[in-house]
Amino acid sequence: MTTRSVGAPVARSEDPRLLRGEGRYLDDLGHDAFQIAMVRSPHAHARVLDIDVSGALEVEGLIAIHTFEDLPPRLQEPLPLLLPHPSLTAGRTQHLLADGEVNHVGEAVVMVTATDRYAAEDAAERILVEYDPLPAVVGPERARAAEHAVHDDVPDNVAAHLEQSIGDAPAAIGAAPNRLRFRLDIERSASTPMEGRGTYARWDGDDERVRLHTSTQAPTSVRAAVAAFLGLQLAQVECIAPDIGGGFGVKIMHPWPEEILVPWAARELGHDVKFTEDRREHFVSANHERAQVHWIDVGFDDDGRVLGLDVEFIHDHGAYIPYGLIVPIITSTQLIGPYKLENYRVVFDSVYTNTTPVSPYRGAGRPQGCFAMERTIDRIAAHLGKDRTEVRSVNFLQPEEMPYDFGLTFQDGRPLRYDSGDFPASLEKLKQLVDWDGFEERRAAAEAEGRLLGIGLATYVEGTGVGPYEGGHVLIEPGGTVQVSTGLSTQGQGHQTVFAQIVADELGVDLADVRVVTGDTRRFPYAVGTFASRAAVMSGNAIHLAARRVREKALRIASEALEVDAEDLELADGQARVVGSPDTAIDLKVVATLSNPLRYAFDESARIATQFANPGKEGQPPVTDDDEPGLEATDYYSPMSSTFANGMHAVEVSVDPDTSDIEVVRYAVVHDCGPLLNPRIVQGQVLGGVAQGVGGALYERMAYDEHGQLQNASFMDFLMPYATEVPSVDIDHLETPSPLNPLGIKGAGEAGVIPGAAAIAAAIEDATGVVIDAMPISPSQLHEQRLTTAQDRPGDTT
Amino acid sequence: MPISRPTDVTATLDALAASPDADLLAGGTDLVVEVNLDRRRPEHVIALRRVTELAGHDTTDGRLRLGANVTYSEVEHDLAQLVPGLAMAARTVGSPQIRNAGTLGGNLGTASPAGDTLPWLLAMDAEVELASPEGDRSVPLANFLTGPKSTARRPAELITGVRLPRVEGPQHVSKIGPRNAMVISVACFAIVLDTTNRRVRTGMGAVGPTVLRSPDAERAVTQALDWDALTCPEDAIDAFGRACAEATAPITDHRSSAEYRRHAVGVLARRALRRCLST
Ligand SMILES: Cc1cc2nc3c(=O)[nH]c(=O)nc-3n(C[C@H](O)[C@H](O)[C@H](O)COP(=O)(O)OP(=O)(O)OC[C@H]3O[C@@H](n4cnc5c(N)ncnc54)[C@H](O)[C@@H]3O)c2cc1C
Repeated sequence: MTTRSVGAPVARSEDPRLLRGEGRYLDDLGHDAFQIAMVRSPHAHARVLDIDVSGALEVEGLIAIHTFEDLPPRLQEPLPLLLPHPSLTAGRTQHLLADGEVNHVGEAVVMVTATDRYAAEDAAERILVEYDPLPAVVGPERARAAEHAVHDDVPDNVAAHLEQSIGDAPAAIGAAPNRLRFRLDIERSASTPMEGRGTYARWDGDDERVRLHTSTQAPTSVRAAVAAFLGLQLAQVECIAPDIGGGFGVKIMHPWPEEILVPWAARELGHDVKFTEDRREHFVSANHERAQVHWIDVGFDDDGRVLGLDVEFIHDHGAYIPYGLIVPIITSTQLIGPYKLENYRVVFDSVYTNTTPVSPYRGAGRPQGCFAMERTIDRIAAHLGKDRTEVRSVNFLQPEEMPYDFGLTFQDGRPLRYDSGDFPASLEKLKQLVDWDGFEERRAAAEAEGRLLGIGLATYVEGTGVGPYEGGHVLIEPGGTVQVSTGLSTQGQGHQTVFAQIVADELGVDLADVRVVTGDTRRFPYAVGTFASRAAVMSGNAIHLAARRVREKALRIASEALEVDAEDLELADGQARVVGSPDTAIDLKVVATLSNPLRYAFDESARIATQFANPGKEGQPPVTDDDEPGLEATDYYSPMSSTFANGMHAVEVSVDPDTSDIEVVRYAVVHDCGPLLNPRIVQGQVLGGVAQGVGGALYERMAYDEHGQLQNASFMDFLMPYATEVPSVDIDHLETPSPLNPLGIKGAGEAGVIPGAAAIAAAIEDATGVVIDAMPISPSQLHEQRLTTAQDRPGDTT
Repeated sequence: MPISRPTDVTATLDALAASPDADLLAGGTDLVVEVNLDRRRPEHVIALRRVTELAGHDTTDGRLRLGANVTYSEVEHDLAQLVPGLAMAARTVGSPQIRNAGTLGGNLGTASPAGDTLPWLLAMDAEVELASPEGDRSVPLANFLTGPKSTARRPAELITGVRLPRVEGPQHVSKIGPRNAMVISVACFAIVLDTTNRRVRTGMGAVGPTVLRSPDAERAVTQALDWDALTCPEDAIDAFGRACAEATAPITDHRSSAEYRRHAVGVLARRALRRCLST
């Protein structure tokens, strides 16, 4: 009997291959390809006066050197502005190679192609670029002060100004009995996947086709971009995402300049060409995120109920804004969290700085929004002397109010409308899980040992499964194997496993018989991409719908072959069989063979199929008008709006009273992504997210100096948390199904990271009595704040 | 780029004399990073791994000699009894891979103010052994370290090892970094209660242009200690921490503020001293 696998903690089918080192990452491909090295700007802001390549010409193995001037007109156009928005009035995007001006350290200026990367780097080093340095604009506030401009034609450095509101926040705040105003900062950070960017292109001159492998979260979009820039038909471009060593958002940016330049060079040179980014390049030439400064103005009643919330923030999007306003729009709308805000105004400026451009990094504006909202709730609780969970409770949107439309516009241009969730129940679970009410005893015990213990919590709601659509294709081969494909690509989320589970259940086949291919435009040309915790929701449901069609067709063919009513049949154990009398059965592979009038009589299935040979319907052709040969189907899932997952984290930290060293000693998560397709994978996603959240709270930051030089552009100084820093995490699930999709699921990919900074800040504040209004925070910074706050608790001997 | 692989000191010195700009390569955990970061472009490399005289350790006339090629792994596993403080320092370095490759000679050659063996070696009044065609000399570590990443080593000289007295008594080394492992010290502190000579020896890392010590702090605490009972009055412990902190000259960078470095080394000093006292 085939057991249902959806909902079971099925082990990831992709792991054995990856763990044995059999993965095929970008740099494992194209050994004989020419390799590219870029000459990148060492300056944050400069004019390019002259490029002298003469010294490089002797380098053995050099194939070509290209500057902006050497590119054809189409490739001299700047990158597309991917997501235009009416308020994005001064959108500027980068050129593939710098056109006379560089705007951040790491911007590509010259492309060098050589027989190998060594030769390419040797040549790149001998190219002399003369720069005229200009003043660098670093940090959101200096950008808005606009003493200097990043782009001459945007003198105020503001690309966009956007305001959204519900009700009348200023009036509500003015009338409220209590009011607080403060500022909150989040620093820049970045995805930093293990594998950097990379692109490998093969031009087939006979076929006039380019095959592109690229480490991307959006292969179909890269394909379209390459076709457009290279003047090719879509049919001439194939784009494949091979195994990807992590994305965490940064690989959703498309096209990268190299994704256009590499296939173009391959065509120009008539030879395979590859670009593999190195770690140092990645730090300065792959996108960052997170940096925002927020000013909060909140009015509330004596129970802590928020009567009006007014938020103003500056979003630092770096030197260019190819990805539009997605991140600040997400902050603006997702800041609300699980609370019923009736008077809310949010306004932001998205500003240029001479730093690496920004596009979403796991969480995408939500960690900042969560930090702003949750720190606000904590301030209210502190002001009123109330328990922090109580103040949250009085503000919660109640389950019976779902679906709830806030009257704001979400990142997908659709209404911000929560579809499901039970926030009071989640909070109750969290309090149990972390033993919230027993904390004061633990605090006292720690204090007796000379440790400062603190607890904090943070809640969030996350719009996931953003549209417009994904598709899925399911095919049962006459050999019995089930082939599944979807267009979006995978970066370690376990898609092969989960999508196979969905199909195996629908078709009653063994998991091992299901093969899933993602991110290959040869297999599925229509897709949006892997971002916004959308793959399971979008592709999962599309594949589910496609599998259902295949199931229906299989049942129809089987019912004709067995001469029983389709309703009396079930699919199980790789067969269609009569419910209650399983001996009357037909193997699915035979059904697959029967589905094609031309049976390719080469195998056992074909031989068996002959027994069921159906003379066909009288007066009908072999393939009837409403039928197609083959046991396969394609379907799409396109929701009316995003589905909103939610969660709550509680964390205990221990602070060393002398060194201000911060240790996360307990971490509890209550997570609601609807029914779990695979608890093991959801657990992994949450755990990985928590680790990244700990990193974002305590370790990871992009330390730019005032000249726009990144001071810590290596893993020596950009510190990721290790096993030594990541606590063990208690996870509990609430499964409120989404009414929006057939599987009832909500996304889980980003959840773990969102509340990290907010919850850890709250715990540090609780431990030390120091108001934490900026994250990440290091022991050095905490120490200084404790000194200035002069609120040291007894026992602190310094 | 030529690579020489001498197997003894004489051949090494010959190779060095023939190309004085050659880079000496021990474990490579600093040198290769420098090359990767494009800060150094070796024209010629002299690989030291096979030089027999640089390996191992021995004791003569009550003085211990550690060869320049001794790795952190050897220190932490094989020499923990002989040089407990150095073993503690070794355990804080990098990761197992780094400790398998990185050497004492390399730590001395780099002479980073954050080199984690240096505070303990300084506390021990270690002498750096140098060999050159002109002959051998040994230089007290305090004189060898002339500034951040600069030393008194002459271009033709090879570090062959360090010599130190054998000292009885409890010792402790600890460091603070911005993460629990694989980090460059923000502050490092070494202490040895030299019960034979009844003298407190210290060394502080990452809080000045070179590793340094506070003679005043050492003197005061040496006097305050009850050497028979190995106890120390609380106020003297606090004063010791303060005096150590005051003797520092730290910088502010993206890893830490100067103020925190100074503060942290004072905390480490107090804690390290307490660990060495009997309770
Ligand atoms: C990931 C990582 C983590 C690290 N963590 C730490 C840490 O926690 N604490 C710490 O202190 N260091 C750390 N380091 C730095 C490094 O490991 C140490 O400084 C180590 O001792 C260097 O030794 P090596 O044998 O690898 O030196 P090499 O890199 O081979 O050489 C270093 C320098 O010394 C010179 N040199 C080497 N041997 C001799 C000799 N016999 N005579 C003259 N000159 C010589 C070389 O020419 C070179 O200039 C880390 C490095 C890495 C890459």
